[in-house]
Amino acid sequence: MRFSLCGAVLVVALAGAMPAWAHHSFGATFDANTPVTITGVLTKVQWTNPHSHIFLDVKDKDGAVVAWMFEGYPSVVLSRIGWTRDQTMKIGDTVTVFGWRARDHSPFALGREVTLADGKRLNFGPPAGTGEGAAVAPGN
Amino acid sequence: MSGCPARLAGFAVVVMGSWILVVSASAQGPIAPAPRTADGKVDLNGVYQASPLRGAWDPSQPGPPLSEQPSLTPAARQRAQELLNRRSIDDPAALCLPSAGPRMGGVILFPIQFVQTPGQVVIIYEYMNAVRIIPTDGRPHPADVEPTYQGDSAGRWDGDTLVVDVNNFKEGNWLAAGIVNSDRLHITERYTRVDRDQINYEAVIEDPILLAKPWTIRRTLMLREGVRVREYVCAENNVDPGRYQEYLKNPSLFLRSPEQAAPPR
Repeated sequence: MRFSLCGAVLVVALAGAMPAWAHHSFGATFDANTPVTITGVLTKVQWTNPHSHIFLDVKDKDGAVVAWMFEGYPSVVLSRIGWTRDQTMKIGDTVTVFGWRARDHSPFALGREVTLADGKRLNFGPPAGTGEGAAVAPGN
Repeated sequence: MSGCPARLAGFAVVVMGSWILVVSASAQGPIAPAPRTADGKVDLNGVYQASPLRGAWDPSQPGPPLSEQPSLTPAARQRAQELLNRRSIDDPAALCLPSAGPRMGGVILFPIQFVQTPGQVVIIYEYMNAVRIIPTDGRPHPADVEPTYQGDSAGRWDGDTLVVDVNNFKEGNWLAAGIVNSDRLHITERYTRVDRDQINYEAVIEDPILLAKPWTIRRTLMLREGVRVREYVCAENNVDPGRYQEYLKNPSLFLRSPEQAAPPR
């Protein structure tokens, strides 16, 4: 795949134009160049502010179980976009999360979208780039 | 890359154009006038979302683009670049601290409630559980206030527009990513409920240490009936400061590369 600098500039320009700053910078923790889609069994949910977290047990290619954590919107936001605590997902459900990995390559990612056990898809976290600002400071 | 500037310019036109189209299209249909209070003022009471769209809560929009980018002083621009190179980990919001109205009211994920009485308007931001109490009875700013994150607000009615003069800010807070105010920050906000569904918001931001000229932000706040402001206690599970301390032991993990950070020529 050919890397497009122009495309990259478009992405950061768009991210910089969004005033939807939330609690903290996406890019300090997550890498928009490493999207992941992970399927596993739900073991725990932190329904909290300023972020919610979901925890999955995921089997790697050798059959070993790896505990993944996904960060998403605060609970107040999830409540407004279709989630119901303890009902939308239940411990033991098999779900799939799409997101972007942490820069330290630990089993941790921002969760953008969750595909529930019944196939329904819900946003769980913000788009890549939120809150970190553009690459270049505004001019004068 | 020769077509890149043109593509970027075209993209900007498309984004702004589609924003205007959305606003125009959503303005069709019967629109009720702004309600009024018993004392004849425009009634701002209600729960709103920063959005161009009328109707129900809308989580899908990315939010309005800034209507204007700030013109920074050279020193402020250099500082902003350094902060952006650190991917904004220094943002006080990561410590759960509130900031000035133009930022607090622009986080589209969280509703804003206006509570209006004859002598004051209270703005409740779900984001950071923050409250601003704005007297509208003509009293001036108090002389002995300590600087605060949201500043001191003095309101007055200019016809159907609530005008709020805000000063006495703590220095070092962020208005946007990398945009750090001094203690000379002064903001003039104008809230105009142009019809039942829509408040036009304008903020003129002045700060001679930060800005080379005043910076004006405009957006619309749309009524969201049935939406309630909930408790958002940011300190409940704020793992980010601890995480950032770990990252700083290995900054190359998250710093923007010099190529990404270089200002355009």
